[in-house]
Amino acid sequence: MTVFHFFNCAILTFGPHAVYYSATPLSEYDTLGTSVKAALVYLGTALIKLVCLATFLNVSENDSFDPYQELLKALIGFIDVAGLYFALTQLTHRNISQNHKFQAVGLGWAFADSVLHRLAPLWVGARGLEFTWDYILQGLEANANLVLSISLAALGSLMWLRKNKPRTLIPIIYICAGIVATMPSITSYLRRGLGWHLPKVVGFELFTSLVMAFISWQLFATCQRPST
Amino acid sequence: MATRKGREGEMLESVYSVIALVFVLVACVELCDAATVVDVYRLIQYDLAGVPFGSRLANLNHHAASGFAPAADLSRTVVIVPVRDINITFIGDYITQKQPLGGLLFLLPRMISSENRDDMGRGDQTFEEKLMRNMLGELEQLLIHASIPYPVYFAFEDDNIDDVLTDIKRNDATSQPATATTGGYKLVVSAPEPKKIVSPTITNIQGWLPGLKVDGDANQLPTIAIVASYDTFGAAPALSVGSDSNGSGVVALLEIARLFSLLYSNPKTRGRYNLLFGLTSGGPYNYNGTHKWLRSFDQRLRESIDYAICLNSIGSWDNELWIHVSKPPENAYIKQMFEGFAEVAEELGLKVGLKHKKINISNPRVAWEHEQFSRLRVTAATLSELSVAPELLERTGGLSDSRHFLNEAAIIRSIKLVAESLARHIYGHEGKNIQIFADDSSLAVNPSYIQSWLHLLSRTPRVAPFCSKNDPFILALKKELADHTVEVNVQHEVLDGMFTFYDSTKARLNIYQVASVTFDLLLLLVLGSYLIVLFSFLVITTRGLDDLISLFRRPPSRKLKTA
Repeated sequence: MTVFHFFNCAILTFGPHAVYYSATPLSEYDTLGTSVKAALVYLGTALIKLVCLATFLNVSENDSFDPYQELLKALIGFIDVAGLYFALTQLTHRNISQNHKFQAVGLGWAFADSVLHRLAPLWVGARGLEFTWDYILQGLEANANLVLSISLAALGSLMWLRKNKPRTLIPIIYICAGIVATMPSITSYLRRGLGWHLPKVVGFELFTSLVMAFISWQLFATCQRPST
Repeated sequence: MATRKGREGEMLESVYSVIALVFVLVACVELCDAATVVDVYRLIQYDLAGVPFGSRLANLNHHAASGFAPAADLSRTVVIVPVRDINITFIGDYITQKQPLGGLLFLLPRMISSENRDDMGRGDQTFEEKLMRNMLGELEQLLIHASIPYPVYFAFEDDNIDDVLTDIKRNDATSQPATATTGGYKLVVSAPEPKKIVSPTITNIQGWLPGLKVDGDANQLPTIAIVASYDTFGAAPALSVGSDSNGSGVVALLEIARLFSLLYSNPKTRGRYNLLFGLTSGGPYNYNGTHKWLRSFDQRLRESIDYAICLNSIGSWDNELWIHVSKPPENAYIKQMFEGFAEVAEELGLKVGLKHKKINISNPRVAWEHEQFSRLRVTAATLSELSVAPELLERTGGLSDSRHFLNEAAIIRSIKLVAESLARHIYGHEGKNIQIFADDSSLAVNPSYIQSWLHLLSRTPRVAPFCSKNDPFILALKKELADHTVEVNVQHEVLDGMFTFYDSTKARLNIYQVASVTFDLLLLLVLGSYLIVLFSFLVITTRGLDDLISLFRRPPSRKLKTA
């Protein structure tokens, strides 16, 4: 029965990635290689991030919210953006359109994140006898993260790859990218600074991810219009 | 434009479904709490002459229920029974009829816990408390003398377990008892298979206070023995602390040893009697330890014993103590001893009665410790609050025998009685009204000493087969006796007789709140539809509706299966 529960949570956590890959044209153009590359870049980025966190951050004894530490953490979080930049611009991809490239990169990125951060706790925890909602919430969080990653990749590809974009939209793109990139810090603040419970935080994450996805989608569509 | 609108509509729909899901989750999230872990104490498991008794299993992994639902299959259910509102005849019938059950968990009231330190030892008990004590005693006898094919555990009531119990009760009231399909709580004790304890040891401790020998007197000095058995037996070996039976006797013995060591340390007040203090084990098993201890004496020593006083359960009496003897009361020695006690008792305002019970040599049952002495023709008596001899494994310091029901004042009075009558006998003051151990003198009974030893005894389970040879408690007793007496001897013996014991007396119970299979099926359904909706949504937004429809027109493709 508990293996059943684990199976459910795994579907919730990793299913959307597979569905995204198979439902969108990504599968038709066989962009798996790009996703795998992005995932590898994510692994490298995560390693660098860990080293930075270990070097610059104090281990806080209590679970309280320390603004300075959090700021530092947010700055270190921007290493993610650098990694994404590397994945989008520096890697040689097979000849696929920009449109598919950012999706493939975002997907690989999110999948690697889910595997790295959620698979082990899921394996250990969800098979236990005790029932908690945590792993279902964690799966929902993975969904939100997928949407956010793809949004960030979309915004990144707008920033770095597209040259002729409407001048008025540039600050909006940057602001949005900034917001999406600082999402981990925002959720951390909500959880520890304001003491929100997990369901509330996950709800917030889902909501924001959908809003950000909608905005970046609109931005992408607007930017694409002049070129077409 | 129209398709765009359609897309947005689709998007809004999926947003709604996600939000609805979130709300459902938020609404449900209050229900869950983390796993609770409680200490549980297993019902004793033993064989008496090859016949199995007690709980025969240790491993537990079943759903919890709060009551015996009639006509329900409880063979995979643990019933949680608070002792507070137990129906003892019902439980007794249930056990003796050998009805199937997954397990039993008794919740003991907090007041008998050894951790409960407030309001104990006052002696004034309410009516309910006395009722509770009797009921615990009854329950204990019932469980000890039954062979139960499922695990039985005891736990103390606490807030966590009370919460769980109210939750279970609520669930039971609304629906059928918990099973795998309805969720609820699961109780798990993972314990290894109980193993036989090979050659359980019993440990006797003795100490001497040698009397003053006059030069040139060739005769050996007479000896007075003061004996108390210290081990216990009860339904839950890890909870058998036996504050009254026989913690009170041990405390009294130690205090008497302390008082006489003060007297004997000065040659002027050193008596013409040797005093022998014996802390014996194996009390619940026909005083097997006493038997072995006496056998180890040589003939001359045994003959030098003037008389022996055995102390047994002297901690919760109200107005009358009993002196139990095996020789007829007309016997001169018995008469002299009893008169000595009765005289002091009268001065102290107590009542002491004499009870005579003949020994039947052919009967292996030894109800009183002094009977072991009497069988070897040593004059002996047992001082006890009990007026009749207990049956085998009765009044041996089990569950109900907690510090809470103990009366410290009674112990102090008993000590005074014994010490005073001994002193009068030793110093030949019979018939004179002299208080040697008067209050406020340097020889007064020390209540704090008694209290501290009672405290230790009331929290140390002392079931002999489960005590190792070098148990800290035995070492502590030895050291204490060595402080007051000389030539302290520890004697290890193998407990013989027809008892076989099994280990695993203590365990940890995990209480899990589990989700039902129905819930997981429902979740799978929700997730499946979520992924299908997501798939359709993505296909429509990126490739258009026609593609989706064409996907369905073809024989089901591999891609759809992944969704």
